[in-house]
Amino acid sequence: MKLFSSYNRILLVISFSGLIIIGVLFYKTLGYYLDRQMDDGLVEELMEVKDFTHAKNILPAPDYYQDLVVEYKRIDKVQNTSSFADTIYFNPKKHQREAARYLKTDINLNHKAYRVLIMSSKLQRNEEIRSICLVIIIPFFLLLILLYWVNRILINKLWAPFRQLLVNIKAFNLNHEGSFESVPTHIEEFSELNNAIADLSFKVRSDYKEIKLFTENASHEMMTPLAVINSKLDTMLQSARLGAEESETLIDLYKATSKLTKLNQSLLLLVKIDNNLIRDAEEIAVVDMITEKQAFFSELIHKRDLKIVLHLNPVYLVQSRQLFDILINNLFSNAIRHNYEGGLINIVLTETSLTFSNTGHTGILNEEMIFERFYKDSVSEGTGLGLAILRQICNRLHYHLNYSYVDQMHTFTVSFN
Amino acid sequence: MMKVLIIEDENSLQRSIQQYLTAEGSTCDCASAYDSAYQKLSTYDYDCVLLDLTLPDGEGLQLLRYLKKLNKTDGVLIISARDSIDQRIEGLQLGADDYLVKPFHLSELNARITAIVRRRNFAGNNVVVFHEIEIDLNARQVKVNDRVLYFTRKEFDILLYFVANKGKVISKAAAATHIWGDDADMADSFDFIYTHIKNMRKKLTDAGCKDYFHSIYGIGYKFTEV
Repeated sequence: MKLFSSYNRILLVISFSGLIIIGVLFYKTLGYYLDRQMDDGLVEELMEVKDFTHAKNILPAPDYYQDLVVEYKRIDKVQNTSSFADTIYFNPKKHQREAARYLKTDINLNHKAYRVLIMSSKLQRNEEIRSICLVIIIPFFLLLILLYWVNRILINKLWAPFRQLLVNIKAFNLNHEGSFESVPTHIEEFSELNNAIADLSFKVRSDYKEIKLFTENASHEMMTPLAVINSKLDTMLQSARLGAEESETLIDLYKATSKLTKLNQSLLLLVKIDNNLIRDAEEIAVVDMITEKQAFFSELIHKRDLKIVLHLNPVYLVQSRQLFDILINNLFSNAIRHNYEGGLINIVLTETSLTFSNTGHTGILNEEMIFERFYKDSVSEGTGLGLAILRQICNRLHYHLNYSYVDQMHTFTVSFN
Repeated sequence: MMKVLIIEDENSLQRSIQQYLTAEGSTCDCASAYDSAYQKLSTYDYDCVLLDLTLPDGEGLQLLRYLKKLNKTDGVLIISARDSIDQRIEGLQLGADDYLVKPFHLSELNARITAIVRRRNFAGNNVVVFHEIEIDLNARQVKVNDRVLYFTRKEFDILLYFVANKGKVISKAAAATHIWGDDADMADSFDFIYTHIKNMRKKLTDAGCKDYFHSIYGIGYKFTEV
């Protein structure tokens, strides 16, 4: 929920419940006050009736009073009570039922007891209440609507720097050149937030740079010792005293060294892609590149007895040749590596996408995990960086990389747009 | 018989290279720092200069500029721990003949040096001969006793590689790296080298060529007469 909606919700609930409570109290008080007034009027009328009876010794005729209804009833005994109450009566003049208030009391006339009922219509009184309420409630409502709009405009205006801040934070990307853009604001809280985020982004960026630099330097520094190991192995190999056992050891050492070299190169490659150091854009005939790669991997494909089905449309892209070469290389190598003997590889190239799908030993893979660095299944002999590099290249080339498992096939799709 | 200057500050690597090349019959001079390299380049002529770009007291590319200013015809092979395209292009533009990234196999280094020296010495005539085998580099053809053999591209490269390193043991790892580059760590690449060599052997011996490939304990091969 937005801040404004949340704020408004609270405001509306409080205003309306306040309005209802005040309204009820006001109505009750006003009604009570007006009832008292009516009661006074009724008492005065009763006095008049009593005066009339004292003076003329007869009861006044019921139609003697214009706006009142007066009724008499013979009763046995005078009870010294009088009561006010509300009722509904039929107004014969207007031919409609109306709310009314009456005063009921007993009087003595010529030693006979009469019950007198004086009833006055509440119509006028109700109308008074209605107009008073309207006069108060309509301005109140108008005030509320005005308040709502003022709030809306004010909150929008006040929070504008905050929203801009959010936009800028979202736009901030470690892999892009632009630093975090501050938002000019006079509001102290926002300006503090601004500064805090600017500091944070600066620190994150410099730390990230440092880590990349460290990775790059560490990998480079390792290359020379690796070269020494390699050259010493090559020298040992020339020794005439080499036996079968030493040869075994040498083979393992060669393998370990080559794996270490590959790992190092992959890390360096990742750093280079991160730093956008590979920018040799040129036109690439994608079909040619794929068929070249197929020839490159021909021994592996042949040995695994893999069937390759190609559906290639002639596509030309202007991109970094080196990166695109690695992209296809990794897709191919991945599809071969994680296949089983006699398996299938489908390669589909269209104007908008390149898809590699392959059969494999495992079922659906965890899409979140497979592109992580150093994630690999236990039988894989690779560095665990191939797919990470693939993803990094796709990010760099602004391609979309997607994994899915369709018809028992692991499918990697690179969408060019 | 080549004369090579090794400019490399890592002494153990320098020694290994020297050892490997000297056994081939080449003469090697060594320089571990900018100044000594500068002096040697000024004084002597070499067939090939191995140039490490990061020296403790100077920039390797400076030496390359200096060499070109002297109008010397020495071949230059840059050996660098940095695999950066920009540096590679800069080095080649300055007149280096080739660029080899560390770590490398000595057999690879030797093959590259041989290629550089061959290009410089026999301009145009690009035929490598080893007894009855003739390898035409321009036509990418292999002839045995004047009969053209059909070699695939990879087989051709492997044969040339072995001939350049004749008499040396070449590990399968080195041969695989030569053919597949960075992807040589593919689990099966050792087997493929075996298959390729088996095929080449058959083609060569079928054409009446002696079998020069000698297997060494499953670790590698030696291409030699004996």
